[in-house]
Amino acid sequence: MALGIGTFQENYAQDMSIFHSPLQWGSVLVFILFLFTCPLFFSDRILTILTMMGISVISVHGLNILTGYCGQISIGHAGFMAVGGYTSAVLCAKLGAPFWAALPCGALAAGIAGLIFGLPSLKIKGFYLIMATIAAHFIIIWTIIQLHSITGGADGLSVPRAKIGSISLSSKTNYFYMVMGLTCLATLVAKNIVRTKAGRAFIAIRDNDLAAEVMGVSLWSYKLQAFFIGCVYAGVAGSLLTHYYSFASTDQFPFMDSVWYLGMLIVGGMGSTTGAVLGAVALKLLDELVTIAGPILSAAVAPQAAASLALISHGLVIIIFLIFEPRGLHHRWEMIKAYFRLWPFSHEVSE
Amino acid sequence: MGRIKMAALAALAIMVVALLWVPAAHAKTLYVGGTQSLTGPFAEDSAAVLAAIEDYVKYVNTTKNLAPWRTEKWPADVTLEVLWRDDALMPAKALPIYEELKGKGMLVARISGSPIALALKDRMWEDGMGATSMATGPYYLSPPQSCFTYYPIYTDCMGAIADWFKGNWKETRKPKVAYLTADNAMGKSIEIPEMKAYLEQIGYEFVGIQYVPLVPTSPPTTQLTWLKEKGVDLALGVMINPGSQPTVKEMVRLGMGPFQTYKMTFGVASPGHAVVFADAMGQLGDGYVCAGSFPPWDDPAPGVKFMLEAQKASHPGKFVSHIMYQGGFLEGMIQVEALRLAMEKVPFEKLTPRAVLENGFYRIKNLPTGDISSTPLTYGPGDVEGVDQIRIDQVQKGKAVKVGLTPLRHIFTKK
Repeated sequence: MALGIGTFQENYAQDMSIFHSPLQWGSVLVFILFLFTCPLFFSDRILTILTMMGISVISVHGLNILTGYCGQISIGHAGFMAVGGYTSAVLCAKLGAPFWAALPCGALAAGIAGLIFGLPSLKIKGFYLIMATIAAHFIIIWTIIQLHSITGGADGLSVPRAKIGSISLSSKTNYFYMVMGLTCLATLVAKNIVRTKAGRAFIAIRDNDLAAEVMGVSLWSYKLQAFFIGCVYAGVAGSLLTHYYSFASTDQFPFMDSVWYLGMLIVGGMGSTTGAVLGAVALKLLDELVTIAGPILSAAVAPQAAASLALISHGLVIIIFLIFEPRGLHHRWEMIKAYFRLWPFSHEVSE
Repeated sequence: MGRIKMAALAALAIMVVALLWVPAAHAKTLYVGGTQSLTGPFAEDSAAVLAAIEDYVKYVNTTKNLAPWRTEKWPADVTLEVLWRDDALMPAKALPIYEELKGKGMLVARISGSPIALALKDRMWEDGMGATSMATGPYYLSPPQSCFTYYPIYTDCMGAIADWFKGNWKETRKPKVAYLTADNAMGKSIEIPEMKAYLEQIGYEFVGIQYVPLVPTSPPTTQLTWLKEKGVDLALGVMINPGSQPTVKEMVRLGMGPFQTYKMTFGVASPGHAVVFADAMGQLGDGYVCAGSFPPWDDPAPGVKFMLEAQKASHPGKFVSHIMYQGGFLEGMIQVEALRLAMEKVPFEKLTPRAVLENGFYRIKNLPTGDISSTPLTYGPGDVEGVDQIRIDQVQKGKAVKVGLTPLRHIFTKK
């Protein structure tokens, strides 16, 4: 996070802090306050959209740690979400486990699945790793379908409404609060992971794995750590999604979702926690805009005009970002901040 | 740079307004329609369904009639409007769409496919929202909720074909039956113990299961040869046309079929519509059986005539020939009928989704559809299948011909 004019760091702790000025602290507090008062003035629809956004943000944070920071491209993220979702669903539906216990178990199961499918990353990278993670997705989904007696197979599995103690999470408001709480926590943890020794090792591996290894960074350990952490995030997101639907089905974790999560990262900006948030929010908003635009376009042009509009717009936005702003929205945000930091005496190129 | 910023800010403002905007309700307007999957594998089906709902609503709004053969009238002071959104067959999109449409005052909803059904059915049940459904799976029956189908679930279709085939069986030995079904959730949904038990109970010898990819990339020679080696007389499955057409072509090449050297009948449930199959395959597809489908467009049924006229009135230059247009027309009829019946019991101003479910959907008894559906439609608490008999079509001389009507066996009993 770039500093404002007149903000100076005098020691290491200040330099490492996430928020540097009272204004930044104030902005965060106002944002959190706004977030938690949303149910007071937003409709069920907006709350649903925000809840889905929150779940996506958690998932994209995981992918950002794995891909954005550690450089291990994964297109199997939805598969890992399925592991988390199904684990907590089975624990709640078949064993009667409480939601608060099932959620971390789902996260752990997804993390372990990430460790297993992350093993090939020790030998392969780039395109080949992408293929391996795609395979992971299909293997996971196939396994879930085959374990019919446990997972319900293709029929799916009905999941009881989430409860924490005596607080039922069946209402949209309560679930929204929980998802937003976890989203804030996930963002904070993601931001902090990057500042740890492991985080710095991830970045070193991403930038040049050979150089990192020569410097003493254990590729074996850190690549698997990245897979584990990234998939734990996916597991949490999958679990939240399953409990939100009150139903676990492999249809809720389609392969294309993994592609869109990567797209969110591209749009937001890889290797940035803020970018992960911005990317997830931007593509989800685009989704909503397209949904609203569909019937209007259909009435104005032709009924077929609305077909595949979401796919086209998502694809187009990702291509535009790859060409014109490969560093994503996060970079744009930094530029806007830099502009206003100097305002009203911003630098202008004079003739 | 300044212009780009302005454009970005304007786009953001439009987005925020669009998200927050709730249109003012017109005087006495009721909404029908709901979520559609115009993107993805069901895109064509959904487009046809949507076109049909729009045509039917236009007919009702214009004439205030419900169908040419019905005497009941739609209230003159109430206008129908179609509301829809594309969910792209993604549950994550369907949830906010459902909330949005509900927020706009929609009292009836629809389901556009199995993934959407699984994501919404519990929520709809809790909200007391009645919905018509293009998907038809066993998940609706355990326990029955508020999603209503207008063709039978796959296991009942399989049972109907088995009944019909057994009725025509002349030999003294037990006929051998096997599943030749799509290798996905839809195809595998017939693999339940009750189904196998029913087949054995009515006198079949169950041989085994073979899978074909939903859309095969190579002829299913191995699977068909296996059926031949096992001496199978009847192969049952759930397939869509892109799966059943190459399968039957390979069957013919291997000399298998009711009119081939090796006598075997292949029967599928409704997504493998006989009309679509016959148009594409011609006489090569003779003998193909489909249960739970809709009548061909040249059928003399009053419902078919009605749909042809509605299409001519709405869009004379463009005929929607997709068979799911008929499904959409039925959905329009069901939703409008539910609203009409609810208005008989509850004042317009007091209508709620639950009121429409309890006083509308549940009161639909023997709704005549002009033979578009296998039988008139009946719903009620615990009764979500609509039809009570299953239409069976067979391709004969390149045409889909109705060969039977079999009672629903309610094979799926799992709780």
